[in-house]
Amino acid sequence: MAIPEDFFYSKSHEWVSFEGEVATIGITDFAQSQLSDLTFVELPEVGTTFAAGDEAAVVESVKAAADVYAPIAGEIVEINPVLEDAPETINADAFGAGWLFKLKVMDESELDVLMDANSYEEICPQS
Amino acid sequence: MDNAWTITFDEPVAYEAGLLFQYRLLAARQAGKIPDTVVLLQHTPTVTLGNRGRDNYLLKSEQEYADLGIDLFQVERGGDVTFHGPGQWVLYPILHLGGNEADAHGYLFNLEEIAIQTLATFSVDGFRREGKSGTWTEQGKIAAIGFRLKRWVSFHGMSFNVENELAGFETIVPCGLEGEPVTTLSKLLGEDMPSMPAVGSKLLDCFEEVMGRNLIRYQSMDLLPEALMACDPPRF
Repeated sequence: MAIPEDFFYSKSHEWVSFEGEVATIGITDFAQSQLSDLTFVELPEVGTTFAAGDEAAVVESVKAAADVYAPIAGEIVEINPVLEDAPETINADAFGAGWLFKLKVMDESELDVLMDANSYEEICPQS
Repeated sequence: MDNAWTITFDEPVAYEAGLLFQYRLLAARQAGKIPDTVVLLQHTPTVTLGNRGRDNYLLKSEQEYADLGIDLFQVERGGDVTFHGPGQWVLYPILHLGGNEADAHGYLFNLEEIAIQTLATFSVDGFRREGKSGTWTEQGKIAAIGFRLKRWVSFHGMSFNVENELAGFETIVPCGLEGEPVTTLSKLLGEDMPSMPAVGSKLLDCFEEVMGRNLIRYQSMDLLPEALMACDPPRF
């Protein structure tokens, strides 16, 4: 799957898409492919605040569980309601319908630590 | 090929002590203080439930497990309920999987492949089953898998039944799969059975081959590399 050009990325394989001061966050297609068919997603509650790098969610497949980190600091303003009943949406559309949560950005100076699509592609394994 | 460490314990290790050792390695690996490291050990009798482990797959009460001398733990790995005991090798790879070194096949596939290739060296046909993870033989399931990633470093891993008593598995519904038999290498091979150390060594050989890493082999705690002993214990 192509990596969206206009998204930003973390080293721990989360993606970030900005709309004003709200950032939508998900895991990348590489991340979902390493975990295989997801069966459960544990999401944070709306109103929770995170510092950059905090554990914010857990995604699980039949045999694997992996932590998802808040790539930037912010307050949770929305979680993806689809995932409770259909976690496999992440496998099908990691960069779209499989988004995890939305954060209200607290510190814009932090955005510099994120990678652009080209830099992110370089840290992914070449299949 | 990248160098990695492996640490083998000869005597069965209590589950909790093994878990604390994994945490220490995990923190050290995340901090880049040690290379990828694989622990190979046997546990004293223990039943563990995975993250989403359902306790209706436990067939005994807490008291009955205690009376049988079986420890009971709920742990943060993926996967369902399983049993560990002496005579079963457990492989805990503490690997950084997030970067260029990750294999496109995926880690789960590679763990299964290690068990399949190990079985092949003893002329046993091991295979995958659609929709059921782990490694299987004609006589039943022989290797079970459940792992966790934290900052893309793996812990927990795979157990491989060598010559363990299967009675412990009768106290649970292994992996939540009802009616599926569990087997051991000794049941499959009968009198031609190799020793535990010989099987352990083959598991590590196959790990090197499948994961593309050269293993520097250490034997139990007393010979641990200094770099590891110098690491701070983790805070969780």
